[in-house]
Amino acid sequence: MALKELFERDWQELESGGVLFSSLEKLVAWGRSNSLWPATFGLACCAIEMMGSTDGRNDLARFGSEVFRASPRQADVMIVAGRLSKKMAPVMRRVYDQMPDPKWVISMGACASSGGMFNNYAVVQNVDSVVPVDIFVPGCPPRPEALIYAVMQLQKKVRGEAFDNYGTQLPMVDAWTR
Amino acid sequence: MTTTLDPRRDPLTPQFADWLAELGVQPDDSAEPTALVPAGDLLRVAALLKADGFMLLDSVGLDYSQYTEKKPARFCVLHNVFHPHDHRRLFLRVYVPDSVDGSGGELPTLYPVWKSANYLEREVYDLMGVVFSGHPDLRKVLTPDDLEGHPLRKDFPVGETPTLFRDGRFLDPATFRAGMNGQSAGLSGYKGGQRRGEMNEPLPPVMPEGGPK
Amino acid sequence: MTDLRDRPITPVSLPEPTLTKPSLLHTEIMSLNVGPQHPSTHGVLRLVVDMDGEYVVKVVPHMGYLHTGFEKTFEARTYQQGVTYAPRTDYLHSFSHELAYVLSVEKLLSADLPERATTIRVILHELGRIHSHLVFFGTALMDLGAITLFFYCFREKEEVQNLFEDICGYRMNQGYFRVGGLSKDAPEGWAARVQKFVDTFDKHVDEYATMFQKNPIFLDRATGVGVISSELALDLGLTGPNLRASGVPLDQRKATPYCGYETYDFDVPTSTDGDSLARFNVRLQEFRESAKIIRQALARLKPGPVKDPNRKISLPPREELETSMEAVIHHFKLVTEGFHPPVGEVYVPTESARGEVGYYIVSDGGSMPYRVKIRAPSFVNLQALEYACVGGQFADLITVLATVDPVLGDVDR
Ligand code: SF4
Repeated sequence: MALKELFERDWQELESGGVLFSSLEKLVAWGRSNSLWPATFGLACCAIEMMGSTDGRNDLARFGSEVFRASPRQADVMIVAGRLSKKMAPVMRRVYDQMPDPKWVISMGACASSGGMFNNYAVVQNVDSVVPVDIFVPGCPPRPEALIYAVMQLQKKVRGEAFDNYGTQLPMVDAWTR
Repeated sequence: MTTTLDPRRDPLTPQFADWLAELGVQPDDSAEPTALVPAGDLLRVAALLKADGFMLLDSVGLDYSQYTEKKPARFCVLHNVFHPHDHRRLFLRVYVPDSVDGSGGELPTLYPVWKSANYLEREVYDLMGVVFSGHPDLRKVLTPDDLEGHPLRKDFPVGETPTLFRDGRFLDPATFRAGMNGQSAGLSGYKGGQRRGEMNEPLPPVMPEGGPK
Repeated sequence: MTDLRDRPITPVSLPEPTLTKPSLLHTEIMSLNVGPQHPSTHGVLRLVVDMDGEYVVKVVPHMGYLHTGFEKTFEARTYQQGVTYAPRTDYLHSFSHELAYVLSVEKLLSADLPERATTIRVILHELGRIHSHLVFFGTALMDLGAITLFFYCFREKEEVQNLFEDICGYRMNQGYFRVGGLSKDAPEGWAARVQKFVDTFDKHVDEYATMFQKNPIFLDRATGVGVISSELALDLGLTGPNLRASGVPLDQRKATPYCGYETYDFDVPTSTDGDSLARFNVRLQEFRESAKIIRQALARLKPGPVKDPNRKISLPPREELETSMEAVIHHFKLVTEGFHPPVGEVYVPTESARGEVGYYIVSDGGSMPYRVKIRAPSFVNLQALEYACVGGQFADLITVLATVDPVLGDVDR
């Protein structure tokens, strides 16, 4: 189809012919949501299930998130998998700061979300007090399926299809965000 | 199966007593094969055991300050030595001579005898505050550098720490537990079959900004 | 049945240092920081490496980035609650810590274990060892750049985790053992599923072996790398496969038998090389030995109770609560307060996939332990790093770290 034709024809006619119209924002968000590259931030037991989610049976690659990047500069989402000790907290903040925008955080496991069973002097009681968390995954450890579901929820959030507790739709991230 | 275990593994046998007499130490009244070693004697006994082929597996720091039985000193270090060939195990119980200011005493290091004492003693130092004189590299090993105190001492609190939320609220463990018995709304907002549903209801009691006083 | 005492230590000695560098070149020592967030450190270990060009001069590990305060937390929980904490230290072979903990408490209480509980414990202990070694092979080879084995190992790992899930509902960190037995009996058909798994497992082990034993790239990176002499290994207090790869036949399952291990027929594989390849091979053979033990244990699995009948230790069965007042009182006491073991100090060594695990438990007669000290094998094994890497290249450091196989949860506790 020539470009001239594209401008002359009616858009409904075009859509029935297989051409889709979208805003650039939506297109970018769709692209982003299907290639959420996690930064490896395996801390404790949950990290084993995080590794398990990439294996042949669970195959996180189906959702475009199998590329675990060791360098935070190449990652979009940080999966905090495991208990965060007070000694590690500054390191984690630093890794988070090194990630380029837009970035998201999944807090995986009871320990990361609330300190879990370790309510003591050594463990940060809530990862949310160190970095802003988008998705909390419950479980000790959460099954790989739970992590995959969390990634899917995050994809919704990226695409602007998520709602908060009060039913307000959350906006998607601006396409021109760095 | 006809193999017999070495009789010296059992603290109740006469062979065990003979062995300890050979080493020149007193047996300790314990279920595990334990020898009571005076701090000044530790290096000599360790060197004997090392020459015998023993390896150092573990060092246990103990704080007896709140123990039911009276012990000769507040701190005690147990060195767990093991013979890899005839499988004898011996715990060397060393009471740490109480220091004057109560800051934990001093023991000679076992590093010249066994290299494995390096980390093990660092751990005891870090968590219990027992100083090992002559240790080449006595630093904190597990706890963060800014943590003051020695967590495994009995006067160190377990430290149920309040959880800080993003909006600056703290979740205090006591308040949280109060909500579980149904007497008060607590933090879950659940009280006796009613549920806090409306958004404009006052927030549950939480700690003031800045954490617990 | 061989006695380990009949087997001599085959000494492993260090090779001549091969460090050669052109003397004309002016070099400077450079410090390199590896971790704590680094894919090859198996978690959150931080290494400060002093390097002279490509050669490692000194390695200083910094631990504690996963310090969780286990030992302090144990002091504020009842003995039975502690079972939930123990597996979370070494999360790869979680049953080893669980077993060491319950065995120590049972020794304190002089509990009387039924036969079936012990046998199921042995099966799970060995399945856990298989699980841990599977993760070792997957991740260690991934660190060396061979990613394929990861998928093969994790295929079987999922199978093992399914077996765990079948018996107690948890894939990891089970908390299934109880002081005085097991939390509940194995479901029907579980033994058959385990049997099916171990029957096919030997074939898979051969599969893994083909994937790295003839691979020239792997052999180049592992042969003769990171040699730990037997003398050094004993001096450093190494245990487990790392020690056996250095030629010392020491295995607590035979040395200080627990859970009736003296009645099982199995071998303790050792190697006389002491290098990284030897550590791979020893673990590979342990797969087969574990499968052998599981097969024997399955053959003797008889129906029966899985809990100590002593009502002062284990919970009464659910049916009894409706008919017997006494059972209700026992139940209430056990759940709210727990039992009170006598005053004393105990230690039971067990052999995990990493070495000797033992819990030194001091009881003051209360319902919570006075002090729990975990003998963590990874923590002690890690000291080998400072010695085995020196003089090698930086890439060898990754090999040595991978084959020493520390679990950071076990190191930092
Ligand atoms: S939530 Fe459970 S599995 Fe995850 S890190 Fe904490 S203890 Fe381990």
